[in-house]
Amino acid sequence: MESAITLAVALPIVAAALAPLAHRVLGNRTAYASAVVAATSFALLVVAGPAGRVTAAQWIDGPLLAVGLTWYADGLAMLIGLLASGIGVLVFVYSAGYMAHEPGQRKFYPTMLAFMASMIGVAYAGDLIVLFVFWELTSLTSFLLIGHYDDRPASLIAARKALLVTVAGGLFLLAGFVVLWAVADTTLIAGPGGLLADPGALAARLRDAGLFVPAIALLGVGAAAKSAQVPLHFWLPDAMEAPTPVSAFLHSATMVKAGVYLIGRFRPLFVGEPTGEWTLLIAGFALVSMTITAALAVAAEDIKALLAYSTASHLGMIIAGFGLASTVGAETGAFHILNHALFKAALFLVAGILAHEAGSRLLGDLGGLARELPIAAGVASVAALGMAGVPPFNGFYSKELLFEATYHLASHEGGLWWLFPALAVLASVCTVLYSAKFLTAFTGSRPDSAAAIGSPPWSMRAPAMALAGGVLVVSIGGLAPLVGAHLAPVEAGVASVVGSVGGHAGFGYHVPTHLTPPVAMSAIALAGGAAGLPVLDRIVGAIDRAQSTAAIAPSWWYRRALDAVETGDPLAAIESGRLRPAAASVLAATAGLTLVGYATAGLELPAIAGLPLLGAGVGSWAMSIVLVVAVGSALAVTRAPSHVAGVLTLSILGFMIAIVYILGDAPDLALTQLVVETLVLVLFLLVIDKLPAFYGEIDRMRAVGDAALATVVGATVTLTVLVTTAADPRLDAKIAQFFVARGPLPEGAHGVVTDVAGGHNLVNVILVDFRAFDTMGEISVVAMAALSVLTLIGMRSGGEQP
Amino acid sequence: MARTITRIVVPIVLVTAIALLIQGHNLPGGGFIAAVLTATAFALIYVIYGLDYIETELRHRTVVDRSLPIDESTAITQEFGQLVAAGLAIALLAGLAPVIAGFIPLANGVLPDLAGAPLFTQAVALVGVPIYGHVEVASALGFDIGVYVTVVGALLTILSVVGAQ
Repeated sequence: MESAITLAVALPIVAAALAPLAHRVLGNRTAYASAVVAATSFALLVVAGPAGRVTAAQWIDGPLLAVGLTWYADGLAMLIGLLASGIGVLVFVYSAGYMAHEPGQRKFYPTMLAFMASMIGVAYAGDLIVLFVFWELTSLTSFLLIGHYDDRPASLIAARKALLVTVAGGLFLLAGFVVLWAVADTTLIAGPGGLLADPGALAARLRDAGLFVPAIALLGVGAAAKSAQVPLHFWLPDAMEAPTPVSAFLHSATMVKAGVYLIGRFRPLFVGEPTGEWTLLIAGFALVSMTITAALAVAAEDIKALLAYSTASHLGMIIAGFGLASTVGAETGAFHILNHALFKAALFLVAGILAHEAGSRLLGDLGGLARELPIAAGVASVAALGMAGVPPFNGFYSKELLFEATYHLASHEGGLWWLFPALAVLASVCTVLYSAKFLTAFTGSRPDSAAAIGSPPWSMRAPAMALAGGVLVVSIGGLAPLVGAHLAPVEAGVASVVGSVGGHAGFGYHVPTHLTPPVAMSAIALAGGAAGLPVLDRIVGAIDRAQSTAAIAPSWWYRRALDAVETGDPLAAIESGRLRPAAASVLAATAGLTLVGYATAGLELPAIAGLPLLGAGVGSWAMSIVLVVAVGSALAVTRAPSHVAGVLTLSILGFMIAIVYILGDAPDLALTQLVVETLVLVLFLLVIDKLPAFYGEIDRMRAVGDAALATVVGATVTLTVLVTTAADPRLDAKIAQFFVARGPLPEGAHGVVTDVAGGHNLVNVILVDFRAFDTMGEISVVAMAALSVLTLIGMRSGGEQP
Repeated sequence: MARTITRIVVPIVLVTAIALLIQGHNLPGGGFIAAVLTATAFALIYVIYGLDYIETELRHRTVVDRSLPIDESTAITQEFGQLVAAGLAIALLAGLAPVIAGFIPLANGVLPDLAGAPLFTQAVALVGVPIYGHVEVASALGFDIGVYVTVVGALLTILSVVGAQ
């Protein structure tokens, strides 16, 4: 079905719009309704299957530009999309229990549903623009969800941090997309005529243009920001301020996988030699990030922070897998996406149960809870063993594949490439350590300060158990080959994902039966972890000391950068809070950039045929008189002694411009100018009593500087007007004729007419009919301006700095 | 003296604004111009009568003293903000109408040209009115009303916040 995918994305959006109303009726049971919506999306995606490229709606269909709502369904898209909707079902059921007594339910469910829709959109995007739009939507909904408890300052700071980092990464991503678009001349990602249709040729063209490595770098930064790789990892632990269902859904199983998805999707284009730039940059950075974040996880005391760092580490593992050129690398990434989602979501749900029942998230307060929370303990054990990579649990197989891929690379290339397997083993040692650390919440003895433990509701237990069940199923699938069976659905699914990311088809996994170097690496990792357990405290201490060296922590740099912008230390001269320096800097920068842009583009001034100001006819005489008065009033403003006189003189200038419009046969423009001028004048009367009555003395030097700046700005604007209104007779006539022909109603029309605009005022007709989409954008900008004024002034009266 | 003039002028301004809005399709005018004119009328009321007048007279509320530092914006400002959101919603719905109609099977029979058309397609209906003859009703008026409400809300939000300073 062609529209199945569109429906799968649209349905949660519609449900999100209706959720606040549903909440009034259903109350807490909105969670179950949302789960039904998620299940429907899941079913729709299964029905749609790997349909290839599907265009749902074409927006622009021209010879130069073709943009539309295009989906591309293949193994990779299906994996992420089904994970998003499937885990969504479980998380919604879990929320029924977790969010039962929490505030803000009315905004929680709509935002979660909107997020789920955006995530499916990212997974199935077949066009660069569609991908970017949904990518930013996930960042936006994540921001709203992290800041859910809006009465806690820590939540708001965390939400802002997450938004700034992921949106900044999104800008890099956009730049990367523009590079690809410029070289490939299409925005379609996959399928016939798309970017990935002939990856070798496109890669060659990128190299010729010198844009191969920049494209990798730009896309890599975008993915790293979203997937919390070092050094852009610092937003993820703070994002744990969100309610646990949000953490389980967004920040372990889905949103952070968007970066991984990006790497996987574009892998066929960039992967080349086993030691090429892609492997060096992507796999190199990912392995380093994997190790660092694993170490940070060992040192974490809050269970959610531990899980957050471990998520970043495992994502590094997936990216490293995709970074390696061999098929085994692709298999690592593909399989681990599935495995990680299963056990990490389970662990987050257990963490939520612990927080909900035991009332604390700090490992110091938890311990020995296995007796009182047996089911949670069981789920946690299964998931943690999977996370640590203990055979035969599911994490072991993907880790084994990583070891195999890095070992083969190192043994072929030798030298410094041995760092790759070494880092992988080191990270795995840390993984064992922090997995064991998580389980100490259940083992050992209860601390004396612990409060009474309640029993979690089944709505919270069942999803966790379901996920643990998934872990077990995949784990058993590895044992099955020992008896000659295969877990076909899992293997076929992963194989199709491997095919999507450019590996060779055919995937099977099993518990290793004889000793090979990769198996030895696994054994070393497990042994190292086990050996480190008794001295865990000392290891944690060492990591803490390393972490507290402020300059290493990217979070410290983020704080410094933000402080510098806010208090204006290095920017004191510009952002001192007074109007003149701020306005001067903005105007100078804008004019400068514009002039540089013109110079770079090699702009030519259009030929001016002469100024018909003093020619024959009343019209041109009237125009010249009006313009002279206007210039005169402009000069008079500079000589005005007081604010009132200055503003009134400026208004004369405005009204003169309105008369110019009237003389130029543009009544709509004249009306707009008159009305806006009147409003500004009346507005000024509102604030008149707050300003000093008279100007002070003007410093001569400052006046000269201001005059120079004003001249530059005026020259830039004049140049811009001349260039943009340069008449090209052939083109202008055609456009004008198009509008004139379709404007007014023809004679003898009746009924309902759609192909003609039906209005005589072409300016207005263009605004609301022909170019209505642009007007929609314009009023959105007006709304944003009002919002910013509201926020800025509100903050000022509240005493904050913006 | 100023109050008397304002009392006479403001209704005239408002009527002119609505007239400009409705006639915008065939004569000079349109949503944006009408919106700025409406905002001017309200600004005049603010200047002459004071900021609290609209709240006490139109909404019959007791007003918080604006000289006190307040965390939340005042109620009237929030209502203006809601105007902005409503305006954007109206404009968006007016544009989406043909797309939505394309999904509803019934609409295909009623408005065959409009249903399923791309975003922001507008139509003109010629309605027969006794004695007067035919009246052109353009669906673009809906979008224009959305523009009007948005800009009025935005400008009034700015007015009420800036004026309170």
